[in-house]
Amino acid sequence: MPALPATPIASGDSPAQGGRGSRYPRAAPAGENNAGAANVYAGVDTDAAAIAVRGVSKEFRHGRRRLRALDGVNLAVGRGEVFGLLGANGAGKTTLVKVLLGLARPTSGEVRVRGRDPRRAAARRRIGYLPEGHRFPGYLTGKASLRLFGRLAGVAEGTLDQRIPELLELVGLAGRGGDRVGRYSKGMTQRLGLACALVDEPDILFLDEPTDGVDPVGRRQIRDILLATRRHGTTIFINSHLLSEVERTCDHVAILHQGRVVREGTVEDLTLPTMRYRVRLGEGQAATAERLTGEGLNVVASNGSLEVEVADLAALNRLVDRLRADHLLIAEVSPLRAALEDVFIEVVEGEERAAAVSDPGPRTPDPGGGR
Amino acid sequence: MKTWALIVDTWREALARYTLLGFLAVSSLFLLVLTFALNLDIVDGALAAGTLFGKAFEVPGKGPAIATVVATGQSVFAGILYVLGVFLAVFATGSQVPNLQHRGTVDLYVTRPIGRTHLLLGRFLGAVTLVSANLLILCGGVFVIISAKTHVWNPRFLVASALILLVFLSYLGFMYLVGVLTSSTPLSIMLPYALYLLSVPLVAHDRIAAAMDTRIGAGAVQTLYWILPKTAEIGRDLTGYVLGKATPAFLPLATTAAFGAVCLGAAVVAFNRKNF
Ligand SMILES: Nc1ncnc2c1ncn2[C@@H]1O[C@H](COP(=O)(O)OP(=O)(O)OP(=O)(O)O)[C@@H](O)[C@H]1O
Ligand SMILES: [Mg+2]
Repeated sequence: MPALPATPIASGDSPAQGGRGSRYPRAAPAGENNAGAANVYAGVDTDAAAIAVRGVSKEFRHGRRRLRALDGVNLAVGRGEVFGLLGANGAGKTTLVKVLLGLARPTSGEVRVRGRDPRRAAARRRIGYLPEGHRFPGYLTGKASLRLFGRLAGVAEGTLDQRIPELLELVGLAGRGGDRVGRYSKGMTQRLGLACALVDEPDILFLDEPTDGVDPVGRRQIRDILLATRRHGTTIFINSHLLSEVERTCDHVAILHQGRVVREGTVEDLTLPTMRYRVRLGEGQAATAERLTGEGLNVVASNGSLEVEVADLAALNRLVDRLRADHLLIAEVSPLRAALEDVFIEVVEGEERAAAVSDPGPRTPDPGGGR
Repeated sequence: MKTWALIVDTWREALARYTLLGFLAVSSLFLLVLTFALNLDIVDGALAAGTLFGKAFEVPGKGPAIATVVATGQSVFAGILYVLGVFLAVFATGSQVPNLQHRGTVDLYVTRPIGRTHLLLGRFLGAVTLVSANLLILCGGVFVIISAKTHVWNPRFLVASALILLVFLSYLGFMYLVGVLTSSTPLSIMLPYALYLLSVPLVAHDRIAAAMDTRIGAGAVQTLYWILPKTAEIGRDLTGYVLGKATPAFLPLATTAAFGAVCLGAAVVAFNRKNF
């Protein structure tokens, strides 16, 4: 889990929007848990959505114990959308993707991909998948891997002749396509995985931690590839821990916690402007944070500007009046959005606190493996 | 196309993992030894058979006697190849399913638009072509060497080679089942050998059952006999057949083939139901 960010203004009892003492708005249903989400998605037109998940639960047996990896998940992803699934380690993200690809069968509920059951082979046509921790057979070269999986996807030989070099070029592996995959570095394998997912020009792409092990330049390349793919109308489903990436790439996100969707909405909604503002003063202008704090305002000075949290617009304007009364020149007043990371941590910690209060025993083992 | 891709993949894997090379190396070694040994045989049997051989060229009427010598030799080799061929083939294909089911690898295969049955049977077909080719080299090599040296072409030896392949296929079905259920290469190799060994005492199933104290025990022995591949029995029939003394009994062959088919079917069902 990423480290807790040092948010400039922290106060748990701030009067900001959102329920349950959250600093962040709740875009998803008003319900406390999945039941709310279910109400919203019960009416989903499973045929129109690119991806539809209805009441999906998945249990695994760990010895005599049963573990609920997914617990009544409802989701819908529209065609052409870029969807991000977030969640702590062991939240059930990979399990959900596996169910969506027919790799695993849900214990209950159903999934539809383009209106069809993904367990049927024909329904998986033009679906790309980059599995988490994938292992290409080490005896294949990069090119041979693409050819094998392209053939298995039913891509014609002539098309493969043309497409394989293009794909290798696209993911930055041109020149290394003749090397054995067993000799690739981690990031190179990941790039090959992406090329392989793109080999039959998918119109739905599932990516499980696509930038895992990829350097910053590569991450940007991957992001550019995804955005380009998206322009062709491809629906993209991403599992990721890199929330800044998700924030930049995805339209829609859902947060999964212990197998349940606990928050869902557009990135825009989840990171709605808060009642926090950045106030930047002109060159050489100094306002003392202490003095303003003394007047009941929550102010932090950072990098030559002030970050302030106010109850409402009137309070913000009173602050501006104060500064102007001191003859300070204001260069900028801008609203701050909550970073997705902040939202994520807030939500997950909130859920954990709620769980600890209502049920002292753990429902699912901690990601470290527990017992 | 997809089936072709899977067959090519199997060959590539065998090539890269040196199983193909190992098989060829052992086969070549065997053929070399054979060439050498056969020369010795001729020298050894010079007094009895050497002249016969010499006359055989000019007097075809003496043919049957030479054929007996050759058939005896071939029968011994068929017995050796039966054990060696199946042993090597099991070894060469034991890792096939466990490798396919490797975490992170199986995801890549199974999510392609190809049915799991097609996927598994495609790999099976790949193994069949691989082992057939290898057996063809091994058995075909022995056949050609013996025949070329003696000018006696005994087609029964080729039929015996086909039976070796059949017995191996039965084992391959079993290995697929073990592989799908356990994902373990060692088990996929050891359990067929265990079946092989078990088939030896089971040849005497009637006598063992008669000696059993309880009816349940006797029933168990007979059941085992009828279910499991009758490897030892087929081996005995096979050498007899090459000698020209017997035709292989139908029931042991049919039940052995059925065992493999049922195991393969079960492997396909299990593979289809599996969560990865
Ligand atoms: N094949 C399996 N057998 C048993 N339990 C499993 C299996 N796959 C997943 N689980 C369990 O299901 C839970 C969810 O796992 P999953 O891999 O979906 O998490 P995740 O959200 O993808 O985590 P991460 O961020 O670490 O990738 C975990 O507790 C895990 O132990
Ligand atoms: Mg995962």
